[in-house]
Amino acid sequence: MANVLKHLPELEGMELGYIQGILKNMDDEQASLFAQVYRARRKDNQMILILCLLGFFGFAGLHRFIIGQIGLGILYLLTAGLCFIGTIVDLINYKSLAYEYNMKIAHETLAMMSNGNFPNAQNGNGNGNS
Amino acid sequence: MKKAFTYFRKLPLELIFWIGALIGILRIDPYGPQHFSLCPLDNLGFTWCPGCGLGRAMSLLTKGDFQESWSMHPLAMFAFAVILFRIYELIKNLKTTKHYG
Repeated sequence: MANVLKHLPELEGMELGYIQGILKNMDDEQASLFAQVYRARRKDNQMILILCLLGFFGFAGLHRFIIGQIGLGILYLLTAGLCFIGTIVDLINYKSLAYEYNMKIAHETLAMMSNGNFPNAQNGNGNGNS
Repeated sequence: MKKAFTYFRKLPLELIFWIGALIGILRIDPYGPQHFSLCPLDNLGFTWCPGCGLGRAMSLLTKGDFQESWSMHPLAMFAFAVILFRIYELIKNLKTTKHYG
């Protein structure tokens, strides 16, 4: 049982609880591997907030591009964030946008780890040593 | 009080917003005269913005008036597709994720 506060102390709120649920049945070594990958890939919710705020200066929807919703990103960009209404809603909602994306990334990381095709330092069989 | 707060936090705000937006669009009358506008830019006194007419164009689309819809705002069809897809995705997320926190 690994503690989330030891491996990923920067998490907060709902995300903290969710990642703790994932780390619950891992040992410390797996957890630190997970933490390393997850930290590199997750999006900070402050970045979502700042990109969302750029919507008021004409570049709306950048946060939607960043979290992989290209369609909505284009729509926001070409309509000034649905006439600012969409931007304002996302300003209220930015934490759950980041949370949704980070949950997806956590599951991707888990799947990658359980597949075993993770570049491991111990058994670099050929392609990992370049 | 605390219970009410956690309940509010679990509320799918974005889903409510998109569904509310679609219901609002179905209810407006695109042929009518200028009506009360929610648009903050319009209320600030700007007469034009890149998203102007999108709601009316989507409303015209549901009434089958494609030509008028295109001349009002060409992105209406795209907006409909993207928003419906987003609603589907949000409902799917709501159903499949369980929160440990």
